[in-house]
Amino acid sequence: MNYAIETSDLSKQYGDVHAVNHVSLQVKQGEIFGFLGLNGAGKTTTIRMLLGMIRPSEGNVKVLGQALGPGGRGPWAQVGHLVESPSAYPELTVRENLDIARRLYGLKNPKAVDDVMEKLSIASYSKRKAGTLSMGNLQRLGLARTMIHNPSLLILDEPANGLDPAGVVEIRELLADLAKNGVTVFMSSHILTEVDRLATRIGIIHKGRIIEDLDASKLEQFRARRLEIRVRDFAKAHTILTKEHYSATIHEGSIFISDAHALEAPDEIACLLVNAGTPPTHLAVEQQNLEEHFMQLTGSKK
Amino acid sequence: MNAYLAALQTESLKAFRSKVPVLTMLGFFIAPLIGGLFMVILKDPEAAKSMGLIGTKAQLTAGVADWPTFFNLLAQATAIGGAIIFAIVTTWVFGREFSDHTVKELLSLPTSREAIIAAKFTVIVLWTLTLTLLSYGLGLIVGNAVVIPGWSSELLRSATIDILGAGILTIMLLPFVAFLASIGRGFMAAFGWAIFTVAIAQIAVVMGWGSWLPWSVPALFSGAVGPRAEVLGMHSYIIVALSSAIGFFITFYWWRNADQTK
Repeated sequence: MNYAIETSDLSKQYGDVHAVNHVSLQVKQGEIFGFLGLNGAGKTTTIRMLLGMIRPSEGNVKVLGQALGPGGRGPWAQVGHLVESPSAYPELTVRENLDIARRLYGLKNPKAVDDVMEKLSIASYSKRKAGTLSMGNLQRLGLARTMIHNPSLLILDEPANGLDPAGVVEIRELLADLAKNGVTVFMSSHILTEVDRLATRIGIIHKGRIIEDLDASKLEQFRARRLEIRVRDFAKAHTILTKEHYSATIHEGSIFISDAHALEAPDEIACLLVNAGTPPTHLAVEQQNLEEHFMQLTGSKK
Repeated sequence: MNAYLAALQTESLKAFRSKVPVLTMLGFFIAPLIGGLFMVILKDPEAAKSMGLIGTKAQLTAGVADWPTFFNLLAQATAIGGAIIFAIVTTWVFGREFSDHTVKELLSLPTSREAIIAAKFTVIVLWTLTLTLLSYGLGLIVGNAVVIPGWSSELLRSATIDILGAGILTIMLLPFVAFLASIGRGFMAAFGWAIFTVAIAQIAVVMGWGSWLPWSVPALFSGAVGPRAEVLGMHSYIIVALSSAIGFFITFYWWRNADQTK
């Protein structure tokens, strides 16, 4: 099978520090792969190795089926990348910065600059010097540079950095749209909700190692909704709910029900418990949390 | 070739949309202007004192007010001033990619790193040669304006060789500055190197080893300590050419192979 990204035993060692430790990844074409990890987990080092910016101490990398060559050579005409914080030549305008990218990607048609400025909603800033842009617009400029050549693979390090909530939604929709058209997206983030909403697969890296690879079905489980109920008399409430054929479970001081009917009509559950003399003190539909899982995996929460 | 031309266009845009070309030009123009002032003063020191151009106790040892002296000043300024001003140009072209964090936008592109580095060196050479020629041109204008004796077409020919030769030898030593700006990932290491080489060049000349130290050769070529035939040999030019080639090679090698973590 041809993977968009394939690494085997990829490692990077600085002295005694294993920044990345035997990471093996396969990202299929058309996937949106979320690469999660705490700060310093090895996300950026991995991304730089994928882009040929850092030479691995061990292992190898294939991008779009091509092994990276000496001098960082790779299929870069088909790859767009954004690494860490966005940067631009401050004395040049947005248009000039993008024109530099256009030339370096070997694009002949200057219209590519106009098209990508439209796509990223920065056309109105085209004559603005990059040094005067807000963080959010600088991020849009960085994203525009990654997409100017309509790549088939996007490698993005924290793409939502600096964007306001509307910008986050806009970029999320843009990436989802690109993925629908067959573009593979590999995006790192430490913002779980962002990755959770977009990714079709998630890899969690911690202390340089991949500690979890969540495919679509596992992610679906995390995205499952459930009704959380708190009452004063747990035993009585649990008995009543079970008698009514709800699959209720008690966990950490709450009762959880995942039945579709309960999720659609939580008011009926409330009535049932009130009528039984054990009214709920808390009733809420919640989404099972990837964050909680991540925190437990990385040892950030005991 | 297309990749190189694309890189050259982008490097030219980056260089000439900044303020640095104008600032380096103003810096390099100081030499012919100061040289012209010296000629005015040397022509008539008493008049200069009365005009307040110099203090009453001033002692000028630049020589006499004539074209040979003026050209000699220009050639020395090109060699010594060039070592600093040209280093600033080189440091800017390479070091700004690190200080602006734009270096990562130059990697992982269809345009090879080699093409980008070659384009950077091309811009540096064109920029510094232009500075040398503009400074020389301004020198001719200033020299004519202050009306000094000793002009001849033979002198013009030899002065052109002195000034352009000093400029070219200085430019040939810039790859080391580019290398230092790269491995130092910014301005400081490269600029420190430039100051250091100017200092050790002076010491080597004083100790009589100048012809063997590449960074002393441009100043010796300019006639700073006498006719160059007496102080330089073929080995001096070979050492400069070798230094240049080594500087190019290690800069290319570094860009091709070093981990880029900034």
